[in-house]
Amino acid sequence: MQLEEKLEQDFFSCLQQNVTEIESILGSPSDLVKRDFTIVEQVNLDASLLYIDGLADSDVIENTILRPLLTNEMNESITALSSEQIKQVLTKKGLQVPSISIVANFNDGIDAILAGNALLFVDQYKQAFSLSVQGWETRGIEEPQSDTVLRGPRDGFVESIRTNTALVRRRIRDPRFRIQSMQIGKRSKTDIAITYIEGLVREDLVDEVLQRLNNIEIDAVLESNYIEELIDDSPTSPFLTVQGTERPDKIAAGMYEGKVAIFVDNTPFVLIVPTHFWTFFQTSDDYYTHYTTASYFRFIRYIAFIISLTLPSFFVMLVSFHQEMIPTQLALTIAAGREIVPLPVLIEALLMETAFELMREAGIRMPKPIGQAVSIVGSLVVGQAAVDAGIVSPIMVIVVATTGIASFAIPDYLASVSIRLIRFPILIASGFLGLLGFATTFVLLVIHAISLRSFGEPYMAPYFPFNSRDRQDTMIRKPFWAIETRPADVKGNEQRAGKNQKPSPNKRRKTRYKR
Amino acid sequence: MRIIPIISIIFFVLVTLTGCLGKEEISDLALVTAVGIDKGEQENILITAQIARPAEARGDAGAGGGTGEPMWTAIAEGKTIFEAIRNLARFSSRRVYWGHNMVIVISEEIAEDGIVDVIDFFTRNNELRMRTWILVTEEKARDLIPVKTGIEVLPGESIDHLFRYSPIVAEAPKSDAMSLSMGYLREYTHPYLALVNLKSRGIAEGEDMPEFGNLPQAELSGTALFRDDKMVGKLKDRESRGFLWFIGEVETAIIPIEFPEGDGNASIELRDNSFQLTPKYENGEVSFDITLETVADLVELGVPTGKSYDELFTLLEPILEDYIQEDIEMLLNKLQQEYQLDSIGLATYFRAKFPQYWDDVKDDWDELFPDMAIVVNVSAEITNPQLFRLPTKPVKE
Amino acid sequence: MSTQIRTQISNSILLAIVINIVYAKAIGVTQGAIARQVGADMWIVTILSILFALLMMWVVVIIIKRTPEKNILEQSKVLFGAWGEKIFSALFFLFFLGAYGGVMITIVYHLMDYFLPDVPTAIFIIATTGVGLYGLSKGIEVIGRFAVLGLFSISILNILILFGSLDNFHVHHFFPVMQNNLWSNLQATSHHNSDWAMAILMVAILLPMVKQKEKWNKYTQKSVLIGGGLILMWPLLQVGTLSPEVTGQYIISCMQMARSAEIGLFVHRYELIMIVFFSISALVQVMSCLICASISAKHVVGAKNINKLYIPTALLLGGFGYWIVDDHMRAMHYLEDYWPILSMSIIIGITVLVLLFGTIFKRKLVQRKGK
Repeated sequence: MQLEEKLEQDFFSCLQQNVTEIESILGSPSDLVKRDFTIVEQVNLDASLLYIDGLADSDVIENTILRPLLTNEMNESITALSSEQIKQVLTKKGLQVPSISIVANFNDGIDAILAGNALLFVDQYKQAFSLSVQGWETRGIEEPQSDTVLRGPRDGFVESIRTNTALVRRRIRDPRFRIQSMQIGKRSKTDIAITYIEGLVREDLVDEVLQRLNNIEIDAVLESNYIEELIDDSPTSPFLTVQGTERPDKIAAGMYEGKVAIFVDNTPFVLIVPTHFWTFFQTSDDYYTHYTTASYFRFIRYIAFIISLTLPSFFVMLVSFHQEMIPTQLALTIAAGREIVPLPVLIEALLMETAFELMREAGIRMPKPIGQAVSIVGSLVVGQAAVDAGIVSPIMVIVVATTGIASFAIPDYLASVSIRLIRFPILIASGFLGLLGFATTFVLLVIHAISLRSFGEPYMAPYFPFNSRDRQDTMIRKPFWAIETRPADVKGNEQRAGKNQKPSPNKRRKTRYKR
Repeated sequence: MRIIPIISIIFFVLVTLTGCLGKEEISDLALVTAVGIDKGEQENILITAQIARPAEARGDAGAGGGTGEPMWTAIAEGKTIFEAIRNLARFSSRRVYWGHNMVIVISEEIAEDGIVDVIDFFTRNNELRMRTWILVTEEKARDLIPVKTGIEVLPGESIDHLFRYSPIVAEAPKSDAMSLSMGYLREYTHPYLALVNLKSRGIAEGEDMPEFGNLPQAELSGTALFRDDKMVGKLKDRESRGFLWFIGEVETAIIPIEFPEGDGNASIELRDNSFQLTPKYENGEVSFDITLETVADLVELGVPTGKSYDELFTLLEPILEDYIQEDIEMLLNKLQQEYQLDSIGLATYFRAKFPQYWDDVKDDWDELFPDMAIVVNVSAEITNPQLFRLPTKPVKE
Repeated sequence: MSTQIRTQISNSILLAIVINIVYAKAIGVTQGAIARQVGADMWIVTILSILFALLMMWVVVIIIKRTPEKNILEQSKVLFGAWGEKIFSALFFLFFLGAYGGVMITIVYHLMDYFLPDVPTAIFIIATTGVGLYGLSKGIEVIGRFAVLGLFSISILNILILFGSLDNFHVHHFFPVMQNNLWSNLQATSHHNSDWAMAILMVAILLPMVKQKEKWNKYTQKSVLIGGGLILMWPLLQVGTLSPEVTGQYIISCMQMARSAEIGLFVHRYELIMIVFFSISALVQVMSCLICASISAKHVVGAKNINKLYIPTALLLGGFGYWIVDDHMRAMHYLEDYWPILSMSIIIGITVLVLLFGTIFKRKLVQRKGK
């Protein structure tokens, strides 16, 4: 008999038959625990408990299932009762498990076992009890590795979806907080949850997200990037139109702005949609430090963005085409540095970029202490030696290093990598066609970026198209007392803070006199 | 969208077909920093180019060898400027590149024959910047170009800095490609250029020492005047200083004056100046009023005196006024009588004020100019003795 | 995005597109031509042209407001029948074909003559038209958003040139004011008018897509005023720093000014930075020109799907652009002698005709609307 056919069957009334069938479906794995016992002493009803070791918590099983069933004297004669009534009896008196549900066929039964539930069969009954006793080893809540902040909460998401939703819910004590769950992945059956705040989110946005999630047909979802790539608005674009984060506060903040979060089980990265381009330059820190500082940091990040996108191309363009534009003093310095460099400047730039990418990649995968050694050897020793040997010019080292550092100043690592990627076409075009290549590829890129949408929202908003209301939290961060309204994505309930929230001594004094 | 692949194909073709068009990298270029133009044999043009050697000019950076000289000077000849420059390429191992040229020096011989080819060549070319200084020298340009002058590594740079940083003692107008082409192209103006000459002012060790040093240095002094594109005259120091008033370049100046009582001198620095030129037209007679007001500082007083500053200032002010007036009158005298050339652009002032009468006089302007009455009124006020509360005088007297 | 839903753009985006489509050519090529004709009065001519543009914009808004759902070509179908529409659309297409020549002259000579003299002309045409085509494929909405960036670059460009030029500004270059009589100044406006004609005809095509109908008048007038202000700065600076004679000497006079600008001692030349901003605006111009041409082509051919017309239109316009640009003398003759006359007669002819017929056959328009 095929596996599919076996799964289609309903449970048999014979206990032993059920257990063998399950064992045969699962291929009698070593971690499947089978515990046979009898309940209700008068009739000595056979029962069997099946669960996967490691997914179900054996302490819980012992304390909440076995001990009550084995010690409790159930005087009533339950042979005549239906399984619904047995459930009544068992739940009301016998079992101390928080949640019990009834399953009737092998398909559901297997699902329950694989999800970490214990399956309780009772002889003579064509149904089984699925007892929720999940309990596997998880990582505790730790500070996130990416998205670190100087000031602000230090908790990060973990691999358990339930813990993750709880972390967010703790920040939103609003009855309109909604969670919708589903499973994606034919084989992996990964739990997915989308959360939003009703009344703030655009209704069609939730529908859109649900529809896109429901359209996914895939055998396994191991990480949220699977989802991200499958619901992306512009799958061919190097730009990220969905943001993933490890920070519950970021997700909560997004939901207050009318966004939808997508939780995926087994990964600490939660997705948030829609995403605007500029959000990749914002960190949680921005909201936890003084607004002037925050705006200054943002300004620095935008500069970092421009540098990491254009600096090498600009340099190559100047040195190989438009030498008259370099100030004379600098021109002489550059020429002096390039005097003995044998390579054309474009090749030199590409070489250095490659070397830099090598160091970055090597540094990431290595264990931390070795990673540091790699960066020291790479940057200091090789860099210095390359200049001394005349393979690259010192200015090129400065240019590439500045570009690299600038790209690290962009808070979202993946966004910064995507910017690093799109820099290469510009670099090559300006190396071949100078100003014309630079201008045309740059414009192509810009047009591409502004034509993108993320779940119906223009990707480059609020600048292209221009929306003055949202600018209060984009290029700069206005103080909280000045941002009275929510962003334009939000459907209703636009007021975010009260009027006249700006604190001033006069206000307080007045009230004091009144008293 | 089918358009995306099409466009990517277009760009791929563009990039591969064009290859390395125009790819001359900065280290493959001979950066000219100064150029001189002389008359060669048989009406030929002689170009002297001062080319920077970046490795030597910047030291270090690993480039070995070389002579240690920060520059390389080469001379080429040709019928036209363009041909001469092309000939330069016959022995220059790198492409001669004009984008960083700071100074163009024209010899007097060339200037007298006409510089229209210089104006045309150096403003038509996209490599050249419009802020290149253009000067005339009384000597051979090829003698001046290779001279190591000033403190800078590259002599061209020194001349550039001379123009930029020494307005206080300036006796030469700031003449760049822009002002030259403007003066040449505009209808009622004539171009002018600064004069540069070699003077022994530097001191080199170990050789016998004449009075003013033994190392020739380039010095900016005077103005060369052109009628259309031909040089017709020169203004020397004081006339040239008078000239600067008219082209609006006097921001500050040092005036040395003789102290009237006792033997000694005083120096006065002009601070705030206003120069106004008012054209007048009465009974078909063109005349001009010049009103010059200046507020000055006393910066040096070489005579011990018991006078108070108030007395001193009333004493010095008329002398200062006379001195400035003399400058301007010397200039006007030279222009009106000797050269009969309206270099200071009085015509544009007149035309701006009286466009309705301009047609009556414009054809005879050159004839009318020598006889125009130009009245100069200078009023000076000295207000600031700088740090000293009292004039310098020992108490023991 | 599906083309079934009528694309809509906001009023401010229309403003950005209008400013961008005029700017690039108006500041340099046009000013040079005007300077050759009227000398120091070039800024007065520019102001007169802006007044002309205000008037024409107002007329166009009146025309379109009669049938707010239809652009001028669709309206002419109602007024003059199918053949009328075809002839009008052909004229429009001809206009944008000609305008594209001017646009290409501007952008290619800026980039080629001053920066890349060794690169063949064809590559400039292919690259810019290619970018234009890409923008076209994304639709008017994206072009509009890009125009916002163009507007931003224009502002930066103006600030940069202002900083670099004010040092050498001479007021006496302006005098005497009105050295030519009004008539010759008015004649010289045709150069700048032909720039505005591009904007006006584009508005006649795009206006029905603009959201807030009641603000059409306000925004079109506003765009002419803002655009005019941004452009007017250039003739003022050109007269003051370059003098009109030098301005007239060059094909691209604004580049000459950019070349002479300097900030402090270190930055001798920064025209490269300015030209990067300039090319953003110029490429908006390319895209708007292409889209208007393809909409006109759509009406000529009677095609339903505009997407198929993009590539032929781009090829045609690019080919014409290449032919014009390849020869500097041909380009200058075309731009100074033929184009102003051609563009003036098309724009005045069409608007007056549609206005008059619309007034006479008002009923026709209203009836159609009722159906």
